[in-house]
Amino acid sequence: MSEQTYEPKIVAFLCKWCSSAGSDLAGVSRIQYPANATPIQVPCSGSVSPMYILSALKKGADGVLVSGCHIGDCHYLEGNYLARRKLHLVKELLQFVGIEENRFRMSWVSAAEGAKFAEVVKEFVDDLRPMGPQEKLKAKRA
Amino acid sequence: MSEKRTGVFVCHCGNNIAATVDVKKVAETMAQEGTVAFSKDYVYMCSDPGQSSVIEAIKEHRLDSVVVSCCSPNLHEGTFRENAERAGISGFTCEIANIREQCAWVHKDRTEATEKAIKISRSAIRRVAGNKKLDPIAVPVTRRAMVIGGGIAGIQAALDMANAGLDVVLVEKLATIGGHILQLSETFPTLDCSQCILSPKMVEVSRHPKIKLLTYSEVKEVSGSVGNFEVKILKKPTFVDAETCKLCDDCAQVCPQVVSNEHDLGLTARRAIHIPFAQAIPASYTLDEEACLGLNPIRCGKCKDVCEAGAINYDMRPETITENVGAIVVATGFDLYPQEKILEYGAGNVADVLDGLQFERLCSASGPTQGHVKRPSDRTEPKEVVFIQCVGSRDPAQHCAYCSKICCMYTAKHARLYKHHVPDGKAYVFYIDIRSGGKNYEEFVQRAMEEDETVYLRGRVSKLHRTKDGKVRVMGVDTLTGQNVEIDADMVVLALAMQPSQGTADAARTLKIGRDKDGFLAEAHPKLKPVESVTGGIYLAGCAQGPKDIPETVSQASAAASKVLALLSKPTLSHAPTIATVRNSHCTGCEMCVTACPYDAIHLENGKAVVNEVLCEGCGSCSATCLRAAISVRNTSPMQVHEMIEACLSL
Amino acid sequence: MINVQDIRDTARDLLAKGEVRAVIGWRAGSRGMAAEPCVVTKPEEADSLVWDPTCYHNLALQLVNDRKDLVHSKKTATAPIGIVAKGCDARAIVVLLQEHYFKREDVYIIGVSCENSGVLDERKVKAQVGGFAPSAAAFDGDNFSVKTAKGDKKLAGREVMADRCLECRTPFPKENNTAFGDDKTGREFDAQFAALARFEANDEAARWEFWQRQFDRCIRCFACRSVCPMCFCDECVVDSIEMKIAPETTAEEKANRIRWIERSAVRSENATYHMTRALHLAGRCVDCGECERVCPVNIPLRLLNTKMEREAREAFGFDPGASIGGPSLVASFRDDDPGEFIR
Repeated sequence: MSEQTYEPKIVAFLCKWCSSAGSDLAGVSRIQYPANATPIQVPCSGSVSPMYILSALKKGADGVLVSGCHIGDCHYLEGNYLARRKLHLVKELLQFVGIEENRFRMSWVSAAEGAKFAEVVKEFVDDLRPMGPQEKLKAKRA
Repeated sequence: MSEKRTGVFVCHCGNNIAATVDVKKVAETMAQEGTVAFSKDYVYMCSDPGQSSVIEAIKEHRLDSVVVSCCSPNLHEGTFRENAERAGISGFTCEIANIREQCAWVHKDRTEATEKAIKISRSAIRRVAGNKKLDPIAVPVTRRAMVIGGGIAGIQAALDMANAGLDVVLVEKLATIGGHILQLSETFPTLDCSQCILSPKMVEVSRHPKIKLLTYSEVKEVSGSVGNFEVKILKKPTFVDAETCKLCDDCAQVCPQVVSNEHDLGLTARRAIHIPFAQAIPASYTLDEEACLGLNPIRCGKCKDVCEAGAINYDMRPETITENVGAIVVATGFDLYPQEKILEYGAGNVADVLDGLQFERLCSASGPTQGHVKRPSDRTEPKEVVFIQCVGSRDPAQHCAYCSKICCMYTAKHARLYKHHVPDGKAYVFYIDIRSGGKNYEEFVQRAMEEDETVYLRGRVSKLHRTKDGKVRVMGVDTLTGQNVEIDADMVVLALAMQPSQGTADAARTLKIGRDKDGFLAEAHPKLKPVESVTGGIYLAGCAQGPKDIPETVSQASAAASKVLALLSKPTLSHAPTIATVRNSHCTGCEMCVTACPYDAIHLENGKAVVNEVLCEGCGSCSATCLRAAISVRNTSPMQVHEMIEACLSL
Repeated sequence: MINVQDIRDTARDLLAKGEVRAVIGWRAGSRGMAAEPCVVTKPEEADSLVWDPTCYHNLALQLVNDRKDLVHSKKTATAPIGIVAKGCDARAIVVLLQEHYFKREDVYIIGVSCENSGVLDERKVKAQVGGFAPSAAAFDGDNFSVKTAKGDKKLAGREVMADRCLECRTPFPKENNTAFGDDKTGREFDAQFAALARFEANDEAARWEFWQRQFDRCIRCFACRSVCPMCFCDECVVDSIEMKIAPETTAEEKANRIRWIERSAVRSENATYHMTRALHLAGRCVDCGECERVCPVNIPLRLLNTKMEREAREAFGFDPGASIGGPSLVASFRDDDPGEFIR
């Protein structure tokens, strides 16, 4: 993307059962949202390793989104509870070393929340745009 | 590393994708990827010619893997994986890039959408490059089934399965099978006697060579998963040997302990040693340990002394029985909503205010009054009876929000039965509205009104109380005339709501299956999977799943039975092979994955994690928890995700 | 005050009776004042053991090394191994036990309490003694006395004690087979997480400015990883995540294998390395401070680790190194874990 119109690049980890299905619903409902987030479907938010988030930032992501089923609705019963704890640590650590709070985001989006998914992406892009490119953790060669 | 030969197939989906995404450009760009040997676009990839062209390309270009850039994998992943299998490559080397729902349909800008479609497709190509050929895991199944609950639902399910040749274990909490239906006098809409319907089926159960009947037993623990459950059952001692018991009743005659008879809902009494009712199956007496003076010849021992058959044995102990089954049908039934909770109608403390089941007993030839309707308080024939519908149902503010479904019909039945027993009596029914959907149901209600001259009053009863002259004064309103109505009735019958039985709540906990907001067992899908629970291999039948009448219960029981028969029709089940796998060289045996696994699918063997292929669902919680990347889900390995992240950031 | 002879007698006795096959402890350093780790295998060597404020090393690392030796040489231990352990060493052993790295009965813990002291921070000492390297140190209850070429010098305890010892609440090794010294659990010299709180008062830009300098400086010598008893993996995830090296693996394949982090010591890779390490130590780090002590470029690694420790304690009620039986921090959850950050 060109320099003059900066568009943040987002890697979005979506759990297969809720958030990816919710994103599908946004599609079926033709709800328009920015094209900045590229989805990666994972079995469960609980399968998202903290390494994935650090890796995405290092490879030049301006923002990373992890989205799973609402608490209590996990297809795998407990995966999102584990994700919540692990990713809390990631969020705290990123802020601690001085990475902007809004670079990492987590959401619960159910299969019925197409509109919410679109809203989450839109808000994320709106929050990222004024920050400019993420250079802090980006590898020079990325 | 071996050279991958991936084929990429970009679908236009008519104009659905092509209108926003430059599909030709996507196909051309993907052709540049190192692992891609072939790439094309086509107007409808999922059509017959589209699928055939994929097969041709696989053969012609010796492709070992396929990426289809099209709609959501929820729609056509299965289609294209089966198609890949037809071309002779593993279905698990086929991945879908969702460029419709997650791209073309949600963006307008053609350049942006095309770029995103390229990234999504590239990500799928990178993922597929790391995919392994996998075969579904065949799991041997235990071709036996268990039914929990011996009411009409459980009996029907057990008989259907047993008659199809399956071994069935039927577990019932009480000392006899039969359930609530045996408390009924007659059944709507035909007014045939409920015992006449059920008794032959009960006998069939007891004689069926394929059915193992465990009464006075409760399921305590369930482990395993679909195809292979291990169930631990606690069989309580009856202290009477069913084989030797001659049903002479001598023991009950001498037993000094009298307690309320639950079969007659407290309208009669029984002894500590008793038979629930004459037609009980198994046909035997049971010594109620709680009511007995103490199972000890020193304390009492009268029943043992008098038993000529020598059937009584005070040394019987609770027994834990383990059964291995491949599927479970839960048919644990309902309880009536407790009258004590209905404060406006006296909370169960007003004499001659009965619940529906008690009234059934009064009408029943085998009941406390031998089928003569008499008031419990003074054994006189009631001349005016008020029936109140929707007691506890359809009342979200105070009681149950749902409609209990059968009360309109059984109230009409009660009114008609009453009129048949007491032709000169007067029957009133208070109702909100009449729900009589069902074959011959509306006609049945009409006959109650016309032939049997039941007075239907549309309105609610606000309160009732006992009068000095031994009547029950019912104060209500007839909303059709707008007038207050006051009736001094001899008897009042409340059509109480149905609620999930205690056994249903217990079963949900033991089997770890979900319940809905009202506590009924949750079906896997409200329309398409109404008899499946959310857990594989566990099925639902009868009122445990929601209020329903006998024909519906029987239908659901037969449906559950047919589901079990289909499940257990083959010697093995197929389980998705995308499960966790361990790199022994990196595993330190820290057990973090064991703790994190929601399915107890991982254990340690010689200090290394071992995954149970059947229990693992492939959620990846272990993989994200492992600090050493020693465990990962097949075809979603960290390396693949690493490559996908790179692809997502490639433009 | 602990009489060092008690430790030596215990070690000698255990070795003589064959109850342990060796005792891991500290002996006088071969260079300067600092003690060094040693493994004593004969009863007569027991008198070489020392216990003083220069026993910095977390000996749990030697326990890990012993375990690796056994596994790699496919030997089975004939008897348990003894280890002299101060509070933080013992907590590290508890984490290793929690992660089943060895069994409790494989280890005989001779606990030593730091009581009202801790270990010295050599950098602080050097600043106080004008550059003369001390040759010995002792603690008299209030002050450290150090020997230098210029004679003896008394240094106030608070001035030269390692930061983590000032913040330490558990100077007594609760997990032990036998222990010496008073149980001063709960003592408070300095507010817990004091340095952390001071750092967190900085704004985001200042925090990044600070860490950027630290990450830029790292030479990726991996001393922090090598000295850490929790970094016991044979192969670290940051080196490689997927590839198994077999005899037939070619050099090109090895070179092309995917690493989460590139080898070059540049900021992005260094930052990812240190953040990965902090996350992998969350709920496991017992704040023994060894990583920070050995860092040749003075990166304040304890800040990262104590940040994770405080999150574990405050957000999840988790006390690293407190109990052998409990689940690990990131393998477990509570229904009321914080989730306000999630949309």
